[in-house]
Amino acid sequence: MKSEILYPGAFPMARVELGNGEQIKAESGAMVACSPTIDIESKMEGGFLGALSRKFLTGEKFFFQTLRASRGAGEVLLAPTVPGEIVVLELDGVNEYMVQKDGFLAGGDGITIDSQMQSMSRGLLGGEGFFILKISGKGMLLLNSFGAVHKIELKPSQEYIVDNSHLVAWSTTTSYNIEKATSGWVASFTSGEGFVCRFRGPGLVFIQSRNPGGFGAWVRQFIPVSE
Amino acid sequence: MAELQPNALCFGDEFPASGMPCLVQIESSGLTVTYALNHGGAESRSESVRFADVSVSAGGLNHDQLVLQWVGAAGQRTLYLKNPDVIRAFRQMAPDHMSRPLEQAAEQVRQVRQRHRVVWGLVGGTVLAVVLGLWFGSDLLVELAVSRIPAEWEQKLGESAYREFLAGQDVMKDGPAVDAVKEMTQRLASQVPNNPYRFDVTVVKSDVVNAFALPGGYIVVFTGLMKKAESPEEVAGVLAHELNHVLQRHGLERIIKQLGFVAVVSIVLGNPPGLGGIMKQLGIELMTLKFGRAQETEADMTGLQLLYQAKINPEGMITFFQRLAEKDEGRVEWLSTHPMSSARADHLKAKLAEMPKQQAEPFSFEWPKVRGGLGMSSSSAP
Repeated sequence: MKSEILYPGAFPMARVELGNGEQIKAESGAMVACSPTIDIESKMEGGFLGALSRKFLTGEKFFFQTLRASRGAGEVLLAPTVPGEIVVLELDGVNEYMVQKDGFLAGGDGITIDSQMQSMSRGLLGGEGFFILKISGKGMLLLNSFGAVHKIELKPSQEYIVDNSHLVAWSTTTSYNIEKATSGWVASFTSGEGFVCRFRGPGLVFIQSRNPGGFGAWVRQFIPVSE
Repeated sequence: MAELQPNALCFGDEFPASGMPCLVQIESSGLTVTYALNHGGAESRSESVRFADVSVSAGGLNHDQLVLQWVGAAGQRTLYLKNPDVIRAFRQMAPDHMSRPLEQAAEQVRQVRQRHRVVWGLVGGTVLAVVLGLWFGSDLLVELAVSRIPAEWEQKLGESAYREFLAGQDVMKDGPAVDAVKEMTQRLASQVPNNPYRFDVTVVKSDVVNAFALPGGYIVVFTGLMKKAESPEEVAGVLAHELNHVLQRHGLERIIKQLGFVAVVSIVLGNPPGLGGIMKQLGIELMTLKFGRAQETEADMTGLQLLYQAKINPEGMITFFQRLAEKDEGRVEWLSTHPMSSARADHLKAKLAEMPKQQAEPFSFEWPKVRGGLGMSSSSAP
């Protein structure tokens, strides 16, 4: 399985080459085009209950699509819904990532996707909801973001502060606390940041250069109000 | 060498920031860490660490990983263990001087879990309390709010909705049916003490068996309902019911309740995706249903009283509901805003039995003529 990012930037597309018999799972609707040797199946990852909990708890899709090169080698083209970068991570069986609900684009067959409950403060204030995806296993993982992806590398005990709505994914060896952006409550909100996450290494934190919620609010003001 | 199966992640100065996958083996004197230097682990390097050089703590996103730190030949190393077998082996082999820090790390994990449970319990309890409070306490709040709104506001509100509705309908302007409905309304309204409303009744040509009241005294009766009725008392029964919706200001209560409830739920839950959204919608629907049914029962009871005071035979109201009950079969009572018609009829009968008997006074119009005006044969059979 080989992957390549075409047209890097705001409107990228991922090209994945599958050997005969290889398969990849992708977010439903992610497939743009594929070779005629590829079969598209929809699958409830994690069984019916797993799919149900993912749908209801994280708001992710109920079905994932499985793209299988069952009739010979071929390639698939995948793209996310929103404009933004795609990053490729290689999981080796020991590193795990937490991914906010819209961040998953596709993963190799050895990747496991679970929905996991966050603690109360993280769920309530973190901006990703109470349930997020925990991705583990072995293989290739494609994440998508809104805007560009920036990787923050944290050494042990190194700290970094991230606005909660810019998070895409972070390794489970990191830990974070939610705190007010400034020391005062009023200033926290008038500064436009509200709550921020104080991450502590070691590990990786992937952030997106645009805030989907903020963009939505910005677009809303241009939408004519209809009766 | 066989392919390395890493079971831990190690962090250090020369390792990538995402951590170096490694295989940890626990021995009696310490641990051996084998790093997979290239993908697949064909090339590897090992490092042995004595227990005496290692410090332990709990770490990771959920504080559920065992973190070992030491300073080796290549500098500071931080090892994250989450494989339960490896952690168990480490705890068994670790010398006595490490049992205290290990116990502390385990205690830290337990505390974090305990704290999560307590917080979730508290929040769950609070949500339950708010829901119960809303369910049982909201009636009082709504009544308080409604009593502060002047009747003129209500009239304006009702009037605009009324005009809008009638604009698209075929209204019956005059005729015996209109006169009959006016007379019934007059007789009922004259029995209301300090009536702040001027009742305005319109007959609409439609086969729908229905009648409804808007806030401020605007009432619409469909000809379908008058055709279905077998006596003028039955129509008067429905009118008494609708008049009481107006008098008890049910429309306004409903608007306030719905607005208030949706506002509170939206503040508490925001606009959650998935299950949260469904729960929110379900809560609002259930609230509306419960409220609707309480109002219907109230309008039934006060309607019966009004008929009695106006000296109109209340039996009509009961027989009409009984007739509707024949249609009801198979409906689930719990899911309807209106109580089942048969249950309503029974309820009304019981109430009527408590009232002293009185002689009803007939209407001045002739029912066969009214039916004729509706385009039906003058016999009373439907």
